[in-house]
Amino acid sequence: MFFVTGWRSALLINVTRLQVDYMFPVVFRKPFPFRRLCKSASSEDTIFALSSGQGRCGVAVVRVSGPASVDALRSMAGLTRRLPAPRTALLRRLLHPHSKELLDRGLVLWFPGPHSFTGEDSVEFHIHGGPAVINGILQALGSLPRLRPAEAGEFTRRAFHAGKLDLTEVEGMGDLIHAETEAQRRQALRQMAGDLGQLYNDWSLQLKQSLAHVEAFIDFSEGDLIEDGVLYEVDVAVSQLRVEVEKHLSDERKGERLRSGVQVVIAGSTNVGKSSLFNILCQRPAAIVSPVAGTTRDVVETPLDIGGFPVLLSDTAGLRDTCDCVEREGVHRARQTVEQADLTLVVIDTAQLPQDLLMVPGLLSRYLKMVLPNRKDEQCLLVLNKRDLLPKSHIAVIQRVLQQNPGLPPLSILSCHNKEGLEDFLTLLQDRIKTLCGDPLASSPSLTQTRHRTHLQKCVDALAQYYQYRDTDLALAAEGLRSGLTSLGRITGKVGAEEILDVIFRDFCIGK
Amino acid sequence: MFDMSLARRLLVRQHFLSDCFVRAASNAARLKYDVVVVGGGHAGTEAAAAAARTGAETLLITQKIQTIGALSCNPSLGGVGKGQLVREVDALDGLMGRAGDRAGIHFSILNRSKGPAVWGPRAQIDRGCYREFIQSELLNMPRLTVIEGSVEDLLLSAADPEQPGKHKVTGVRMANGGGEILSGSIILTTGTFLSGSLFMGQTTSPGGRMGDPPSCAGLSHCLREVLGLKVGRLRTGTPPRLVKDTVDFSLTELHLPDSKPVPFSFVNKHTQCKPEEQLPCHLTYTTPGVDKVVRESLNVNSHIHQDTRGPRYCPSIESRVLRFPGRQHQVWLEPEGLTSDLVYPQGLSMTMPPELQLRLLREIPALRRVEIRMAGYGVQYDFVCPTQLFPWLQMKNVQGLFLAGQINGTTGYEEAAAQGLWAGVNAGRIALSLPPMSLSRTESYIGVLIDDLVGRGVTEPYRMFTSRAEFRTALRPDNADLRLTPRGFEEVGCVSWQRYQEAVRVSRGLGEALSALQSITLSSFQWREKLGHFSISETKSTLISGKEVLQYKDVSFDLLASAFPDILSPYLEFSERLKIEAVYQPHCEKQRQEMERMRKEESLALPQDIDYFSLPVSLSDEVREILDRARPSTLGAATRLPGITPAAIIHLLRFVTKVGVTTGEAAYMQVRGPKPDCWRGASVHERDREKATVVQS
Repeated sequence: MFFVTGWRSALLINVTRLQVDYMFPVVFRKPFPFRRLCKSASSEDTIFALSSGQGRCGVAVVRVSGPASVDALRSMAGLTRRLPAPRTALLRRLLHPHSKELLDRGLVLWFPGPHSFTGEDSVEFHIHGGPAVINGILQALGSLPRLRPAEAGEFTRRAFHAGKLDLTEVEGMGDLIHAETEAQRRQALRQMAGDLGQLYNDWSLQLKQSLAHVEAFIDFSEGDLIEDGVLYEVDVAVSQLRVEVEKHLSDERKGERLRSGVQVVIAGSTNVGKSSLFNILCQRPAAIVSPVAGTTRDVVETPLDIGGFPVLLSDTAGLRDTCDCVEREGVHRARQTVEQADLTLVVIDTAQLPQDLLMVPGLLSRYLKMVLPNRKDEQCLLVLNKRDLLPKSHIAVIQRVLQQNPGLPPLSILSCHNKEGLEDFLTLLQDRIKTLCGDPLASSPSLTQTRHRTHLQKCVDALAQYYQYRDTDLALAAEGLRSGLTSLGRITGKVGAEEILDVIFRDFCIGK
Repeated sequence: MFDMSLARRLLVRQHFLSDCFVRAASNAARLKYDVVVVGGGHAGTEAAAAAARTGAETLLITQKIQTIGALSCNPSLGGVGKGQLVREVDALDGLMGRAGDRAGIHFSILNRSKGPAVWGPRAQIDRGCYREFIQSELLNMPRLTVIEGSVEDLLLSAADPEQPGKHKVTGVRMANGGGEILSGSIILTTGTFLSGSLFMGQTTSPGGRMGDPPSCAGLSHCLREVLGLKVGRLRTGTPPRLVKDTVDFSLTELHLPDSKPVPFSFVNKHTQCKPEEQLPCHLTYTTPGVDKVVRESLNVNSHIHQDTRGPRYCPSIESRVLRFPGRQHQVWLEPEGLTSDLVYPQGLSMTMPPELQLRLLREIPALRRVEIRMAGYGVQYDFVCPTQLFPWLQMKNVQGLFLAGQINGTTGYEEAAAQGLWAGVNAGRIALSLPPMSLSRTESYIGVLIDDLVGRGVTEPYRMFTSRAEFRTALRPDNADLRLTPRGFEEVGCVSWQRYQEAVRVSRGLGEALSALQSITLSSFQWREKLGHFSISETKSTLISGKEVLQYKDVSFDLLASAFPDILSPYLEFSERLKIEAVYQPHCEKQRQEMERMRKEESLALPQDIDYFSLPVSLSDEVREILDRARPSTLGAATRLPGITPAAIIHLLRFVTKVGVTTGEAAYMQVRGPKPDCWRGASVHERDREKATVVQS
């Protein structure tokens, strides 16, 4: 939990002002004396957010608040008839409301208003803490009508409206804010110094200018000298902006990974030394190691700092067909975890190698296919364990053979027993993680917040409205730009009407 | 009370045309009024009329009854953004819209091609006719007395300790020994007359408008020194008036009015002026010679050397040339009236010496032989920083004192009228021991205007633009009656029964028509069969309602009504409004939540006596300073202050909740105690009965 706190705190630094909500629910879990000072906001829409820390934790809490909470509960937890008793945990399979895909099994809690944190109808989903599960749940909630991600301070604001919060307790929050790992600290600093902020601000400025020009055309073109060419310039600028934001949105989640951690999974056959590798990497005997095949049954997770990057390392059950139903479930989970991994360490035992070392590439390919049916090379590293059992001469041969077979992912030959080759492996692992996260100090700033993503997507959608109405109703077209700007503003800060007017008067001679 | 006013009203009818003065003098005898309005401009006239409509005995004091309703600058009304204000003033039963319909001589809807939300109803106005209409309305209005005179000072007493404010007004002292008039609600609408000075070339003279004596020296002193109000200075200007016969219109572009003039007022079906009787406007441009004269005149033009802030959007020709040199600037030649021999050159406001003005004008080909009837001049005047006002336009510091119009730093007839109306309503309400009311940004441009003024203050003369309204698509000129008239009658008490009935009828008709449209559902194939060729998407397999079809560009309500005459033909009179509603409803729906959030925040009052610097919550010094300077009345106003962070808002919420969630008005109400419920409906009915009696007589 300590580690988790650290990750979340980096996130708080990133967008201190905007991010308030993500932390409040954690802190204010204790019940407050009920005093309703104002009527509940029944007409408001329904909001949701991850209320526990963003990052590795056994259990994550996603909170939903607002009139449509009950619909969210019904459709996600498949509760068609009765609702669970208020404030009582119920274990349910959580399904995607549209695809009916299984997202997780978790606890659901139903808090009918006013006896809830916000005073409104609320639902909590207590789910497994992996980012895939969390994102899956958040996306599923976002796909429901009338639900949207919470805005800055929104849970808190609603709680205030319902007279549920006392702010004195908020103020101790500042102490929680400090960056845990070095890379996160750097990214946090970068954001504060405004790299990402700068990018969004630039966009905001461009859009503000475009909007101002459209507004000038609306408010002043009749009887003033504002040329029609102004609108053409806006067309060009808006379409460029749209392309840029879309490109930014498709950055393969590098920044988010840096913020919430890279999911690294150790997988392979039974008894190849996965748990040994796991224990070495986390520098403590976190997983049970034994010579018995199938010792690890469940997925074991631990957060790590590797080369300054946050990593969530998972050890999984060895992959084999088995009649033991517990182990079969373990294998199933292992496969699921591998599916969601950012990086898989595929472990193989030297004992599995064929006599003819020239056959090694073929064996490795088949093995990889078994472990990772949908393999992408950048997603895995091969680890040949039990190097101590291999003659030194063989190592050189294997390395030579593999050099002639560039189709395979990089291979590390190491021994968990005597730590030989471990140093090289760690360097390789660190490089790979760095690539996955993107170096926060290099190239363009990447996207770090799911919330940013939501707003940027909204911005792109809003810009589409401009084109939809450009020729028929300029007021509605301008509305598109305006709501695009509002979406950007939710990340960078507000843009008021006065600022729009400032641009208008700077750029045009208004004479009426 | 009503007998008296009826008697006075009849008296007025007899005397009005023959001798206003006599009538004025006869009424001055009454020395105590519910509401006193000082100033007879657009703010003052609407304020007086609105206060009287709410049921308060009202006195309007003006320097000259003759100049009541004068258009001191441009002979036009409305426009983009301003047109919306005129519509809203009309929807609250104000005078301006009807006066415009009576006096308009060239009607056009600006922005026709840009979407109904930003249409700008506008008209050129016959000055004389406008003045006449306003004067006859006011002089015939029950519960309203008009007198000529100058106010020298405000009468003050100790403040009521249970209400916010350090002072309390109890009346006015008239100049020249005119005695005292008592009243607990006073509205100042002195326009540019507060320490006003006129500029032309290098000469300066005291005054607020050319041809009128300066006034308000005593008032200025009282506001600044006695009441300690923060005052700023602004400037404005007006162009020379040209002799029509000396303009060569053949060298200009002709601009014709709309062939079907659309009235401003919701109660008028057509304008007074017949379509074919309307006058055209003419457009011409400045030349490089104009630039040259401007540059030569700089050393003899003291107005533009002043630091005082002028408007950026209505600049003098001097500042236009200086800011954007080498350009052609538009000059609109506008008629001043049906029979007037003058022309108003819009865009050529200037303050250089008269001989240079003439030289400048004659650099424009169409004005080569032009003669000036009255030279252009500049005005500098004091305004009271409007952040010192509550959203109901009463001074925070002075109980019973209301300000409206240019004195609050605005410019424009429409802006003045809108404030005047709202100040009048509230002065009337307070005089009648009713709680004050404010209008939300989410329901009206008037709300946007007042919220901007009291929330942010002004740094230049404030003018309305559509871009100031965040909910522009909902605040359209076409639906001002639906937005405001019912509330104006039911809650505010400033709207007549007839107008209310009409708004209810329209609202019901629109509602029925929309549900009728919704009830017609056909497949896209069937729609094509019914309506003939139009571009409905082929792939759409689901049923489409009539309302959705009406959103299509090429589909009009008339077209639908011809296809379904039984269901839709009763609603043909709402044809255009239905089309707009159908197109805009989905967008307004999207904004609804945001509007509700804003309304909620607007309902959370921040106490006026908070010491932001010692507030024991974590706010940055910067934020504290902003809050201290602006002293927002509500949390909503605070969120709109530049530099205020969401975190600061959360911290402020704590105080709102601590103090108790009440609106400013409600807090006021608690102190004053509520008035019996029956008041609202009763007074309106009584008033209407009274009106009926008068008409019969």
